[in-house]
Amino acid sequence: MTEPTIMQRDVPRSPLVARGGGDISRGFWATSWLRFRRRKLAMTALVFVGLLALVAILSPAIAGTKPIVCRYHGRLYFPAMSYFHPRWENEIFFRDGFRMRYVQNLREKDPDSWAIWPLLYQDPYRRVRDGEWPGQPGNESYAPPNRHNLFGTTHPGVDVFAQMVHGTRVALLVGFVATGIAAVIGITVGALAGYLGGWVDMLLSRLIEMVMCIPALVLILALLAVLDTPTIWHLMAVLGMTGWTGIARLTRGEFLKLRQTEYVSAAAALGAGRLRIMFRHILPNSLAPVLVPISFGIAAAILIESGLSFLGFGAPPPNPSWGSLLNAGRNNLQMWWLIVFPGAAIFLTVLAYNLIGEGIQEATDPKLRQARQ
Amino acid sequence: MLSYFVRRVCIGAITLLLITFMIYGLIRNMPGTPLTMDLAETDPSRQISDEDLQRLERIYGLDRHWSVAYFQWLGNVARLDMGRSFREKRPVTEVIGERVGPTLLLSVTSLVLAYLLAIPMGLFATVRSGRTDERILSTVLYMLYSVPAFVTALLLLNLFYVRLEGTIFQLPLGGMTSMQYDQLSALGKVWDRLLHMILPVACATYTGLAYYSRFVKSNMEEVIRQDYIRTARAKGVGPFGVVVKHAFRNTLIPFVTLMGLTLPGLLSGFVILESIFTWQGMGLLFLDSITNRDYPTIMGLTFMFSVLTLAGQLIADLLYAFVDPRVTYS
Repeated sequence: MTEPTIMQRDVPRSPLVARGGGDISRGFWATSWLRFRRRKLAMTALVFVGLLALVAILSPAIAGTKPIVCRYHGRLYFPAMSYFHPRWENEIFFRDGFRMRYVQNLREKDPDSWAIWPLLYQDPYRRVRDGEWPGQPGNESYAPPNRHNLFGTTHPGVDVFAQMVHGTRVALLVGFVATGIAAVIGITVGALAGYLGGWVDMLLSRLIEMVMCIPALVLILALLAVLDTPTIWHLMAVLGMTGWTGIARLTRGEFLKLRQTEYVSAAAALGAGRLRIMFRHILPNSLAPVLVPISFGIAAAILIESGLSFLGFGAPPPNPSWGSLLNAGRNNLQMWWLIVFPGAAIFLTVLAYNLIGEGIQEATDPKLRQARQ
Repeated sequence: MLSYFVRRVCIGAITLLLITFMIYGLIRNMPGTPLTMDLAETDPSRQISDEDLQRLERIYGLDRHWSVAYFQWLGNVARLDMGRSFREKRPVTEVIGERVGPTLLLSVTSLVLAYLLAIPMGLFATVRSGRTDERILSTVLYMLYSVPAFVTALLLLNLFYVRLEGTIFQLPLGGMTSMQYDQLSALGKVWDRLLHMILPVACATYTGLAYYSRFVKSNMEEVIRQDYIRTARAKGVGPFGVVVKHAFRNTLIPFVTLMGLTLPGLLSGFVILESIFTWQGMGLLFLDSITNRDYPTIMGLTFMFSVLTLAGQLIADLLYAFVDPRVTYS
């Protein structure tokens, strides 16, 4: 009773008629994508993640105190880029002593200057003071949501909305980078173990088992503590290095199954090398089931990051993160806006990734598809 | 069977050695030692002299390289001595032992509650599959599954501790008992503990609930399409009998694996919740011992968690052979 491969099973019973003539049918990924697109919830989730990515990329243009573009002494500058990396702020603004106050300084030091400002004049790192922006009063500490602070403020009067917009970057980055690292480690280990077999499989399987048995939080906290000043990048690396076991096991299983198939023997007969067979022939065919734990893994990484920031073990404080907002809310329980907004953001993002994972599962797993029909 | 068992135990022992070795190396390389962490808090006038510090380091084995000290620790463990906690100045087994009860109280209660609610919900979802009420239930459970417990905990605290302050519905902020616990009558003590348990248990239950009911449903969906279910229906078994006796009983095998996997979680699964509600359990002890660099306690907890994880997997595999006669390990 050999399982037909996914490809073989798909082609004849595909309800989605071939493009053009009748001979070429759609490939596996095209049919899967069509099937995925039919699931409204999964598509909504995908659109939501896309929007989040847009918010993350445009975060300095949505909320910030630095101009997106400004003309200063005859040259164009993009000071808002410094929200992505502090070094990307042109040193001319340090030399001229702007000290983060662009509105007044631009006007005083170069009357001919002009600037395009973010949608909201609020900063994720510091309090906006009175008179900084014409007609906008300074932020109060712990202000509930109001016209100028859409989601309220935290203790030194820092705007919650700005922190959340900039925190999107952290959340998405953690999800992608941590799971990306986990996927690379997991797929490599799983592929080697599953394809080579023998003592390699023995050793790697023990390694997978061992990492699985270590309580994840012990390992993460210990690794973070060893680094004296953990940054968000360290956190991503640590999450990636601890979260690959599920992916490795799944890849190993797929490789064990697929290395018996005819096309692998054919490739070997044609003289393809081991690496070529593993990564050119087997991997693309085993990728679909592996995508599912990757999607769930992104959700898990975002959860763990916010949990760690919540506990105070995350990236150091001046880092706007949804979890650290919740941490502030924990110490000020009556300030609901510190709990509701970041909580909702984490919830929606995790939900979206879970829905996408499930969508991929149902679109690519022939067994599940049969069950639904 | 016996040889399988012996082999698994041997592999488990090696895994355990590697895990503890790795964790020991990691925690010994964290900046600061338990002695300096303690010093940072005491006032300057009471600081110990350098000679005393060195003497203490020698006693605790901190002057040696961590790989040497690891084998010292391992030798002590082999003699059933887990060492003494730096922080509490008491044997680690005693410190950990005190925390087992509270954590089990939280985890077992929430686990039992989750199962009691999840099984009927899962069965209901299977029977009514595709109808409106099932869609609503499944959607709500699915959404609950994505809400992190610490967010719910904060929201519930905002509602029951802050908003309902002064009313009879107000629930305590945290801890396991009130300040005046000792003066309460026996009945009052039980009531006081119950009040303190409501929020932590609610938060610990709902994530499990969402997970288990989906687990029940997905297992049921596979079974309900089997031929023998159709046969049972055809010979006139009532709908309740079909679902519970013929279908559900045949989905119990995967539960065995699930229970094996829950075993370590019973003691280590609630680090964040325990820290929010200052519930004096294992999770809180673990966090505290990490911040205080209390090596013996961290190692004791790691050792225990790893043993439980390995044991849980082994028990699940062995039970599998017992409940499913098709599986043998010989």
